[in-house]
Amino acid sequence: MSKADAFTQAGKTAVLQNIQGTLQFLQRFPPFNQMEHAHLAYLVEQCQLRFFAQGESIIKPADGPVEHFHIVKQGRVVGERPHTARGGTETTFEITTGECFPLAALLGERATRTEHLAGEDTFCLQLNKLAFIKLFALSSTFRDFALRGVSSLLDQVNQQVQQKAVETLGTQYSLNTRLGELAMRHPVSCGPDMPLREAVKLMHEQQVGSIVAVDEHKAPLGIFTLRDLRHVVAEGVGDFGDPIEQHMTRAPFYLSPDHSAFDAAIAMTERHIAHVCLVKDQRLCGVVSERDLFSLQRVDLVHLARTIRSAQRVEQLVTLRGEIGQLVERMLAHGASSTQITHIITLLNDHTVCRVIELTLAEKGDPGVPFSWLCFGSEGRREQTLHTDQDNGILFEARDAAHAAEIRGKLLPIAQQINQSLAQCGFTLCKGNIMAGNPELCLSRAEWARRFAAFIREATPENLLGSSIYFDLRVVWGDEHSCEQLRRGILDQVGDNRLFQRMLAENALRNRPPVGRFREFVLARKNGEKATLDLKIQGLTPFVDGARLLALANGIDANNTLERFRQLVDKEVIEPLDGAAYEEAYHFIQQTRMQQHQIQTRENLPYSNRVDPDSLNHLDRRILRESLRQAQRLQSSLTLRYQL
Amino acid sequence: MSLFSWLRPASPVVPAAFQQRLATLPAITELSECTLREQRWVVLDLETTGLNLSKDRVLSIGAVVIEDGAIDFSQQFERTLQCSELKLSPSVLIHGLGPNAIAAGSDPAEALVEFMEFIGDSPVLAFHAPFDQHMLGRALKEHLGHKLQHVFLDVADIAPLLCPQAQIREAGLDDWIDWFKLEVFERHNASADALATAELALILFSRARAQQIYSALQLQQRLSQWKRRQQTHSF
Repeated sequence: MSKADAFTQAGKTAVLQNIQGTLQFLQRFPPFNQMEHAHLAYLVEQCQLRFFAQGESIIKPADGPVEHFHIVKQGRVVGERPHTARGGTETTFEITTGECFPLAALLGERATRTEHLAGEDTFCLQLNKLAFIKLFALSSTFRDFALRGVSSLLDQVNQQVQQKAVETLGTQYSLNTRLGELAMRHPVSCGPDMPLREAVKLMHEQQVGSIVAVDEHKAPLGIFTLRDLRHVVAEGVGDFGDPIEQHMTRAPFYLSPDHSAFDAAIAMTERHIAHVCLVKDQRLCGVVSERDLFSLQRVDLVHLARTIRSAQRVEQLVTLRGEIGQLVERMLAHGASSTQITHIITLLNDHTVCRVIELTLAEKGDPGVPFSWLCFGSEGRREQTLHTDQDNGILFEARDAAHAAEIRGKLLPIAQQINQSLAQCGFTLCKGNIMAGNPELCLSRAEWARRFAAFIREATPENLLGSSIYFDLRVVWGDEHSCEQLRRGILDQVGDNRLFQRMLAENALRNRPPVGRFREFVLARKNGEKATLDLKIQGLTPFVDGARLLALANGIDANNTLERFRQLVDKEVIEPLDGAAYEEAYHFIQQTRMQQHQIQTRENLPYSNRVDPDSLNHLDRRILRESLRQAQRLQSSLTLRYQL
Repeated sequence: MSLFSWLRPASPVVPAAFQQRLATLPAITELSECTLREQRWVVLDLETTGLNLSKDRVLSIGAVVIEDGAIDFSQQFERTLQCSELKLSPSVLIHGLGPNAIAAGSDPAEALVEFMEFIGDSPVLAFHAPFDQHMLGRALKEHLGHKLQHVFLDVADIAPLLCPQAQIREAGLDDWIDWFKLEVFERHNASADALATAELALILFSRARAQQIYSALQLQQRLSQWKRRQQTHSF
């Protein structure tokens, strides 16, 4: 027994105070908070606590295969990677209290690819490789964490999202739903000898489509439905004093409450029935109708889209808006990503806009002039969330200025009507009046082209702001050809104009992500309120602006921010790793934002993009901070690229 | 028997097993040229019944080891000493060791032998080291008839030596913890204080290297020069 072991043994009699203290410290952080106590104690007992002065190298590629697992006890560790494009180094990540490194290198038994430096005076707990391997074998929680690294953290976040959404929905709303949960109300039943007239009266009062005749033990004898009533009336049998048993369907089909909605749907399709009795212990306990199942399908995207496209009045569209909200909640519950959800919202919004235009044209009469309905901003980028402003315009073809003015005269009343109807449907009127009903936004192709050229030529602050809205244009309704030409014109002009690019770059640096040089968030505190950060302006806008600039400068005609990043990677404008990191970060911020919106809807609060980081859990806060740091990296790459 | 033996306190009766263990302890040598990192250090903190050097007693020992330049969690020492004649005094409020905890403690002689084995021939670091050195030395003499010969370095001296810019006079452990912005665990026992002192020592070793002090011996020499200077200044 070595000396060290002997002392370890001696110390085992009681848990040492310092071990205890370290345990409690680690238990504040994942994955340690989920590890078994004995495994965690093993980890702590095997640890060394080491100090690194600010700027000191902790591990570096030249050290060879990594020998220690590190947990930051205090301080800040930064990853420095040589900058590929231009010399020097850039900070690729930050690791702070409770976080660990390096996992990939340790598991891969290789050297680290990034030098880890102490960003400030730092204490790290070090676990040697042997102990790490033993712990890896002992603790499945630790193994899981080590193998999947940060992506396992992201998984945890997603699991939390799903769980939270499921909690508010009360149930996983799908065809796997138990029938018992679906049949909310008590079944309407009667004795077999109840006169038909009274049975029908009961159905009418209870607003149901069926009544079940039961014996004295509540066992179902037969079912009488509205369809049966139609038969009775059609055949003119006529005496409504007959007992119900003479007209009911005997021995009705039944399932147990534990069967799924899917089972009921299959049974109904196979048997051509519209009602299924639920029987438990030979007693009737519910009835599920086709309509109950249909209400599940209401959230179905295709169906919703079809309903929107066939709506006969604007009021109908207004009611359907509510269902989009439900759809979003359900999709979050089923683990859909923020990208999928924004796409679907955009899709349904597009349908709504198209239907509103069609209904308006039907009502006001076709002006006889072909036009395209444009949208700008987030709608143009297909990045809409549920609460969204109108940013739209009209594009048409005209021979000359006089012709354009004439067409404008015809289109403006229609456009204004459409704007109002859209407002009714929940698309808030644009405060800046960027709406098709505004004469300045109902333009011919030549007029638009002139306007856009002016943006690029004279980079005033208003024009820069304008370009950040209008250059994300897209056609929602009507011919796309003219818009295509407009966009090509913009790309050609921006591509040639380095000065304008530089101005756009400066503009893209306006909104700084709220992460300081040190580890915490830098937050605005407005008149004594709790400090918050704006997820949209401080989180998403840096990505959106950066992606737009790089796309416009490099002839990429995609509008969507993530699509822009993807094409920028394809064109080798940005590195694949950076592209992926930006995408993931953008994604996470958007997801956080949408969750906030859902919570606000549920609590009847006004929509807001502001979030108090303290209200997030530890994990979300940490990932949010990393995501904002990616925005910072994108901005500093623009600074370099445009020498700002 | 010597003529004056009655003047000396009766030497304790030490069980043979303990005597044997004491005899196998490594010999203590002077500090060497080995680097601060190569040197194994024991960082010590004692809880005592009070601050009276001749009357008060050691209640508990907490110690951690700095080896290979890091605090090694697998080597820690933590004992509460049994102390039958302890009177409840106000210092209970400071060290927080109630009569029950002390009654349940280890046999002092055994704990001290174990502690000597734990220290081995390593130099000892402590905050206000002369106090700990004296108290431990007395306890060893009383319980084991053993003479404490280890080199003690005082962290309360090393800190101002290496960080003269701190400008805090008569600084206590808490002052230095604040100065270095150390985030220490709750400190309510000797072990936690020893750990905090050790963390302080790690920072100080790093500062020492930055000031061209590389070995334990160099550190000791610089420390005694500094102390002499301090004394001349105060005259």
